Amino acid sequence: MSGAGAKAGDKRKLIGSGLKLRAKDALGNAFLRGAVAFTTDKLRGGRLNAMAEFGNWEAWRERGRAIREHTIRHLDYYLSQFAEGVAKAGGHVHFCASADDAVGVFMEIAGRHGAKLVAKGKSMVSEEIHLNEHLAAAGIKAVETDLGEYILQLAGETPSHLIIPAIHKNKAQIAELFSKDAGRPLPPETKPLADYARARLRSIFLEADIGLTGCNFGVAESGTIVVVSNEGNGRMVTTIPKVHVVVMGMERLVPTFEDLEVLLNLLPRSATGQKLTSYVSLITGPRRPGDLDGPEELHVIVLDNGRSEQLGDPVFQEVLHCIRCAACLNVCPVYRHVGGHAYGGVYSGPIGAVLTPLLQQDMAEAGQLAYASSLCGACWEACPVKIPLHDMLVHLRQRKVGMKLNPPSERAAFRMYKKVFANVKWFRLATRSARLLQRPFVREGQIRKAPGPLSGWTRSRVLPALPERPFRDRWAELKRELYGNPADGGKGPSGSFDGGGDGR
Amino acid sequence: MTGPAGSIRGKDDFIRRIAVRLGRGEPLKEAPPRDVKGVPEFYRAAAASRQELIDRFVREWTALSGKVRLVPRGEAAAGAAAYLEEIVTGEKVEAVSLWDDPEIAGLGLEAALNRLGAETVVWRESNGGLSGDGGDNGHDPDDGPKAEDGTDGGKPSGWRARSGLLRATERCRLGVVCPDYAIANTGTLVLQACGGRGRSVSLLPSVLLAVFPAERLVMRMGEALERLRSEGETKGGLPSSITLVTGPSRSADIENDLTIGVHGPGKVHALILV
Repeated sequence: MSGAGAKAGDKRKLIGSGLKLRAKDALGNAFLRGAVAFTTDKLRGGRLNAMAEFGNWEAWRERGRAIREHTIRHLDYYLSQFAEGVAKAGGHVHFCASADDAVGVFMEIAGRHGAKLVAKGKSMVSEEIHLNEHLAAAGIKAVETDLGEYILQLAGETPSHLIIPAIHKNKAQIAELFSKDAGRPLPPETKPLADYARARLRSIFLEADIGLTGCNFGVAESGTIVVVSNEGNGRMVTTIPKVHVVVMGMERLVPTFEDLEVLLNLLPRSATGQKLTSYVSLITGPRRPGDLDGPEELHVIVLDNGRSEQLGDPVFQEVLHCIRCAACLNVCPVYRHVGGHAYGGVYSGPIGAVLTPLLQQDMAEAGQLAYASSLCGACWEACPVKIPLHDMLVHLRQRKVGMKLNPPSERAAFRMYKKVFANVKWFRLATRSARLLQRPFVREGQIRKAPGPLSGWTRSRVLPALPERPFRDRWAELKRELYGNPADGGKGPSGSFDGGGDGR
Repeated sequence: MTGPAGSIRGKDDFIRRIAVRLGRGEPLKEAPPRDVKGVPEFYRAAAASRQELIDRFVREWTALSGKVRLVPRGEAAAGAAAYLEEIVTGEKVEAVSLWDDPEIAGLGLEAALNRLGAETVVWRESNGGLSGDGGDNGHDPDDGPKAEDGTDGGKPSGWRARSGLLRATERCRLGVVCPDYAIANTGTLVLQACGGRGRSVSLLPSVLLAVFPAERLVMRMGEALERLRSEGETKGGLPSSITLVTGPSRSADIENDLTIGVHGPGKVHALILV
């Protein structure tokens, strides 16, 4: 690779600056695009069927939203209650302000038990704090046991979807990874590949010193950890190893079991269209005297890591309502084209574009994700707890501009825009000059290759040319056409533009 | 049901920061009042007859590829034995792990299995190895292909015994449990784990049989959760584990192909006493 190539490679890793490069890579990968489209269609279809079958979906959504809002508004109370419940049941709660604190606590637990092998259930938060890298550095082997995550771990890659992490891998690639792992050739067929993973991961479950999971919900009234899974790996890692460590975002709570029923009805339906996942584990403390299996120790690491910054914020507090169902990914026209890797972080899609800059408190780099959206609002419509993600994306852009993090040329352009559009003389002058200047580029009323800063637009789209006679000049004549009475000019209804009044 | 004491670290600063961000000087001490709680009202009502509950459960359970058999109470033992025989023969079951549960014992399932030539592992502390009820049938608990290397030597004997039970169960093809409740509208089994009701029995074997009387059916999850919660209150806390099982273990992680039986049981049977 040349120096320039290596530089591009480094840039790809930057969340914001590499966004376009990664999106371009994704758009050039036919298998990925097909797989992402197929998967998101399937999940979206499943969700729509589940919603229709369940009935009254709007009432459910509103209930989900109300419960999440109440919980987050009183998070101090519910977190306290939750922690006391965990401790009363014999568990240990560790409140950690930062990713480093959380990693430190985990290392301390692992060290005390002389752990060499950690079996991991699915945990986005453990990826958020880069726990695997820290464990590897300490000589502790961590194995992802969700089938999709296991495939990615063998490939050394990150998830491209919150629910189905390895959608970008085909059977041949998986067979190659598994064959290397097995030391013998495995056919590129689902059944033998799944059988291999079952046997391989079974030995990991049985041998692991620590089982690690995330937490879908914590029930405040009892200190119960709720983990959902379809494969059963979540149950394995909370049943067999002697120590179970939960890593959870501090916002994951619901007040009561009654509220849990609402969210357990919303989550699987929104994620995959299932009425309920195959398994829901409700874990309250470690094994009790007389229990013959289950972990002897339970640790719950409660992580802030940028979350409390959102509390009290009139716009962004609601991002903490998210239940990580990924419904917003499946409907997002941007995600559906580029997949999860383009977002460059652990969380992808619309929720990732909002959450990543907020959690990392980095508007300069991660804040650029706010532009990976068409602001169509499909994410909000799909969200089972009604988070206005599209509004938040606009506010993130506003915040970025307010911090003067957009390029000087863009700021100059918008200053100009403000001046021109606020004054009719300037406006007329500008449109008149633009009409003259565009002439060399116009072919059949369209500009296919625009110069300078506009070239980005015409790289994948056409720009309609400014018409020879602008709308403003035609308005008097149009009014006559519409109302047939020139004297009535100024009194026409203001809504009269409806129905093709632009004269095309 | 209390075990060793738990602990909380780093709480005060953490909670105080949240309170301040939420605009409070001090963390909230009293439960906040609530406008709405739990599921929408229209979902709560729905009184259903026993027959409706059974029909709904059967429909949901079979839609998930589960098999079901209804057996009248009067001929429960014979009906259960007949269903077990079908499963044992059909699935080539050699060893079975069972909850130490009065309902299962009352049906004589262990004896029925032994008559069929299947070994039984009852989830009981005395059954440290792969053996019937106290008998030694010549299996060494350490000869399993996946036996871990660090669990025996030097570890407390309690762990060794439990580990033996775990390993014995890991070699069983069939697990038999008796759900506390079954949820009709999702086709879900509710399994509380404690004592003789091991978590592993419904997890490690590749075939699951759930045996329960029809009285344990409820329509929706909330009814089961409410009963568990209030039972927990009288017993001084919830059990360490409650698992909701809805159909077989499944995954779509390889090119969206549905794979059944990834880690947990791939085949699930329900025997309902009516």
